[in-house]
Amino acid sequence: MDFNAIETSTLSKVYSSAFGRKKIEALSGLTLTVAPGTIFGFLGPNGAGKTTFVKLLLGITFPTSGSAKILGEDISGYKIKSKIGYLPENHKYPAYLKGSEVLDFYGKLSGMDGDILRKKIDELLELVQLTQWKKTKVKAYSKGMMQRLGLAQALLNDPELIFLDEPTDGVDPIGRKEIRDILLELKSRNKTIFLNSHLLSEVEQITDRVGILNKGKLIKEGTVKELTQKREEYKLSLEGAAVNDLVNHANNEFNLTSLGEGYFNLKVTDSNELNKILDAFRAKGIMIKEMVQQKDSLEDIFISLIKESENGGVK
Amino acid sequence: MKNILTITWYSLREAMARKVFISFFIISLLTIFFVAFIISMPNFVKAFVVGAGNNFLESFTALEIMFISPISLIGILMSVFSSASFIPVMLEKGNIDLLLSKPISREQLLIGKYLGGIAVVLINIALLIIGVWLVFSIKFSVWNFGFLLTIFTITFTFAILYSIIVLFGILTKSSAPGMMIAYLIFLIVSPVLYSVKYKLGVLIQSSLVKGIVDFVYYLFPKTSELMGKTTYDLATGGGITNYQPVLTSLGFLILTLGIAVAIFRKKDF
Repeated sequence: MDFNAIETSTLSKVYSSAFGRKKIEALSGLTLTVAPGTIFGFLGPNGAGKTTFVKLLLGITFPTSGSAKILGEDISGYKIKSKIGYLPENHKYPAYLKGSEVLDFYGKLSGMDGDILRKKIDELLELVQLTQWKKTKVKAYSKGMMQRLGLAQALLNDPELIFLDEPTDGVDPIGRKEIRDILLELKSRNKTIFLNSHLLSEVEQITDRVGILNKGKLIKEGTVKELTQKREEYKLSLEGAAVNDLVNHANNEFNLTSLGEGYFNLKVTDSNELNKILDAFRAKGIMIKEMVQQKDSLEDIFISLIKESENGGVK
Repeated sequence: MKNILTITWYSLREAMARKVFISFFIISLLTIFFVAFIISMPNFVKAFVVGAGNNFLESFTALEIMFISPISLIGILMSVFSSASFIPVMLEKGNIDLLLSKPISREQLLIGKYLGGIAVVLINIALLIIGVWLVFSIKFSVWNFGFLLTIFTITFTFAILYSIIVLFGILTKSSAPGMMIAYLIFLIVSPVLYSVKYKLGVLIQSSLVKGIVDFVYYLFPKTSELMGKTTYDLATGGGITNYQPVLTSLGFLILTLGIAVAIFRKKDF
């Protein structure tokens, strides 16, 4: 593929109320590129503009200004959608249809038919573990089952680019793990996945790159590794008679905070200082049972960036 | 075309699921049985033949229409009621997002939904009219094929009203406004305009008032004429004697549906 899966340039969306008196800027000059064959996580608080962005790319909503391409084609055309899969948040299927009929309906709308469609439906129902429920009307499905069916629906046409809006919403932990495995398997087949999610720990586990959006603006973008840098901070588990003494004088001698039950948090300026402190511990007869370098989780970064953005860029 | 047919077919499924089909079907069957019962009464045929005299075919058709008219009227009112939610349901969040994410144009989507609503009525009206026609034809041994053409005038009348429902459904995402306006046009505006134009027209002296009456008359669809004179003309085998109500109503339908499509093409969801 010699083009990006997603490419937007200063994409904006302003919603106007009736008579245009009140304007809401849902998305503001968003420029973003998503490489093919990657999983991109799109994060942001409620109302940040994540869903609006996906809707703009899929032609569900129209941009106020800017341009966008998906799989190398302008978003104004509808035929490119035959290569796209989409699982919207709070999707609604015709309640009178059975699980397999829902897939048949959307498969036909995706240009599929006959034996190929029937085979694909069976294959996907098996993948999302709904085979035994395929003859049950979807109105009897639980939230988790609806999400699984939604995922099957999004994969029907073997899409090159898949948009998933909160795909694990309402799914139990085992189901979430299974969905993550499916997404990783899709990535291994060079599919591009654009993932909107609130579940930061999940995004951290499977995405290659992450974009953080707040109030319609992209405030940070990078790989998970880039965003979650390690800190010169260590969690230690210590044992020995001098540990109690260490607790009493912790703040004077070292930049050490007790976390309770023999655990401490140690802040240093560099590895030289760390080594000196460890030597001092040993000299006091303290045994170092465990030492883990601390790093910012995606959640820490996310909260910090959102707060910074709310305060106009001041931490 | 395949996309339109898929949407049309699934709209029929939706109607079946909502018991629209079965309700209509039961009413049609009851009507057919009722007609069969009435005309099977002792001496009914004999009395009718004597009463009709030389105008047998005309009286025969009038009798058929007498049975079919109230049922068609109720059928249209029912159809408007039952199909009014098709568009608002399609536009519900979570449903429209998914439909628009598929490789189908917005025009195809709306036209497919429109044809689906019409197909529901066409099938049911056809069942009713063919049933009544068969009962009459077998009993009287008179096969008036012109009567079957009323299927199209009644369905066409519904198609006009449904275009209004579609337009207001797109505008408001609700079924009530379109339904109320469709009923208003069908039950009040069209019959009143017809009366003002043809019955009271001679009493209007002012050319300005006459001009306004003419404008409004030609602007609105002529559902009462379509269900009355046009249907009767076709049923008696005389063909359409006045194309004006058909053509101006068709113009209204195209305009209404065209506006609905234009709005739907630009609407954010």
